[in-house]
Amino acid sequence: MGVAQGPLLTMHGISKRFGAVEALTDVDLEVHAHEVVALIGDNAAGKSTLAKIVAGALTPDSGLIEINGEAVTIPTPAAAYNLGIATVFQDFALCENLDVTANLFLGREMHGALRRSDEEMERITREVLDRLASRIPSARTPLGSLSAGQRQSVAIARTLIGSPRIVVLDEPTASLSVGQTAEVLTHIERLREMGLGIILISHNMTDVRAVSDRIEVLRLGRNNGSFVTQHASYEEIIAAITGAPRADALRHPTGATLSAVS
Amino acid sequence: MSNRAAAGSQSSLREANRSLVLQTVQRWGGLTQVELAAATGLSTATVSNIVREMYAAGLVDTAATTRSGRRAQLVTLARRLGLAVGVHIGSRHLRIVLGDFAHAVIAEQSLPLPREHRMDASLDRVALLVADLLDRVGASVSEVVGVGVGVPAPVDAATGMISVGGVMRGWDATHLGQTLSKRVGCPVQVDNEANVGALAESTLGASRNYRDSAFVMASHTTSAGLVIDGKLHRGYAGLAGEIGHIQVDPQGLICSCGNRGCLNTIVGSDALLEALRPSRGALSLRDVVQLAKEGDQGCSRLVADAGAQIGAVVASLGMVMNPQIVVVGGELAESGEVLLGPMRTAILRRMVVNQIAPIEVVPAVLGVRAEVMGALLLALQAAEVPVMTEAEGEESAS
Repeated sequence: MGVAQGPLLTMHGISKRFGAVEALTDVDLEVHAHEVVALIGDNAAGKSTLAKIVAGALTPDSGLIEINGEAVTIPTPAAAYNLGIATVFQDFALCENLDVTANLFLGREMHGALRRSDEEMERITREVLDRLASRIPSARTPLGSLSAGQRQSVAIARTLIGSPRIVVLDEPTASLSVGQTAEVLTHIERLREMGLGIILISHNMTDVRAVSDRIEVLRLGRNNGSFVTQHASYEEIIAAITGAPRADALRHPTGATLSAVS
Repeated sequence: MSNRAAAGSQSSLREANRSLVLQTVQRWGGLTQVELAAATGLSTATVSNIVREMYAAGLVDTAATTRSGRRAQLVTLARRLGLAVGVHIGSRHLRIVLGDFAHAVIAEQSLPLPREHRMDASLDRVALLVADLLDRVGASVSEVVGVGVGVPAPVDAATGMISVGGVMRGWDATHLGQTLSKRVGCPVQVDNEANVGALAESTLGASRNYRDSAFVMASHTTSAGLVIDGKLHRGYAGLAGEIGHIQVDPQGLICSCGNRGCLNTIVGSDALLEALRPSRGALSLRDVVQLAKEGDQGCSRLVADAGAQIGAVVASLGMVMNPQIVVVGGELAESGEVLLGPMRTAILRRMVVNQIAPIEVVPAVLGVRAEVMGALLLALQAAEVPVMTEAEGEESAS
């Protein structure tokens, strides 16, 4: 934990274009184990596109992706799952009519000799929720009767089925109350303590600065600043998001700053 | 569920079920009977019976509520006389508890905060979290007798304002109590975090049987709360016990208070984490404490040295006020003897030995919750309702 070692995930020179729209141009990103990397930027900065590439929902036009130093391709979400990447998208993709346990194991059911009993799945669900310090009283509650914050908890808990190494969270605190935000931020701290690498996409500067180790700013599909959270001020980060020309604040990340950071 | 298997006789089974229900209600704040059944694994009929018994015994309250459009019975812990809120606005965490006059915690929540968090955003979150917690247990703000707040800066008790500029940047020009009081709609008391920590430990924790004690809070910054002759000693401008601002290195760095080489510039989290950066990269204080507990050499050394340095200053404090016991809390103290051992050695080595009883150096019983519990006590003490005696409080808490 924390001891200098190679990055878990390296993305280098990632470009993605939708027709005439250049969503990502030459973007670099590194995520280490036991690290929360916040990916922030204005609307249409390319945050979600980058997340979808990590999750295997989109494939980049060019660029290199390495996991533990080995070059990989992530053509499908299933491939991402097998590589140990779990993603929570903004719309959760959970089933209203199923209970918490069923939602956690949906699509992850084992067959044949590996088949799990209902009791075992419920036990694992309970365990995962406890590890996250979640406030969902019962693993048998139908999803439809949970609050938005509790659904977010379930969506995050779902990522832990199958022992991932990297978790991508897309706007996990958007449209949540402060109490629910507190829960989700606590979950993120727990995930980090479990030694996972976390990519946190968010608009909320307070949340990002509260739980992240490093902040990567995207602007119009390009890297526009890399900050160690401990040493970054609101003003510097906002300048990088908006593109305000502050020569002293903008440390352009051409890879050199990235390695200096880690 | 293990509690079912462990039962021997019929009555011990009922007893186990009852304590399970009580624990579950305490953990979640407020639950409907159906949720309670699901959370405990007991049948709804059993839960219903237990809740009725406990209601008759005055242990829980019930109220009508709705869940997914259906009528339901919300079960919460019974509240004695009224509610109060304790808030600890720490350097990197906000902790908040809702408690009653028996010092029983009815609901609680913590929230990670950014470094140098802004006053407007943080006070806003406090106000919203208070409303959220009240909502969770089905209570209204009219039941709240007051809010106590602990902040990481010296506070002038007379005005409730931060009395030293620069320690909490952007916070010192505002009347915190008044601002927050307007937002939440009830009286707000503000005090230093180490002072409220001392209040909690001397009322409910490790130093409750001692007249003279010091509570040392070793966290992102270090400070102390002093209890002299059973009463919290704040000093003229709330600066008493601010050991983090005692000079230990005349050639050291400039501190946030404006002086040079304060203890905080050496054992504060900024200094500690910076020392690890070249070899370990970016770590949080929690990481360091966790690694130290696991026996990581570098982190243990760092925490142990910090303990010795704080101990040297606490020894001087000890010669000034002569406490019988030093209680150590704060996030660094979560590392246990890694911090406390060297601190104890440093204190004992420097203090004059009296022949009656040696000074004790012990961990805080309430751990990192000492400050928030103290803030709760602060609110209760300020309210004009008689506080229950300690013995009664303990009884109902168990």
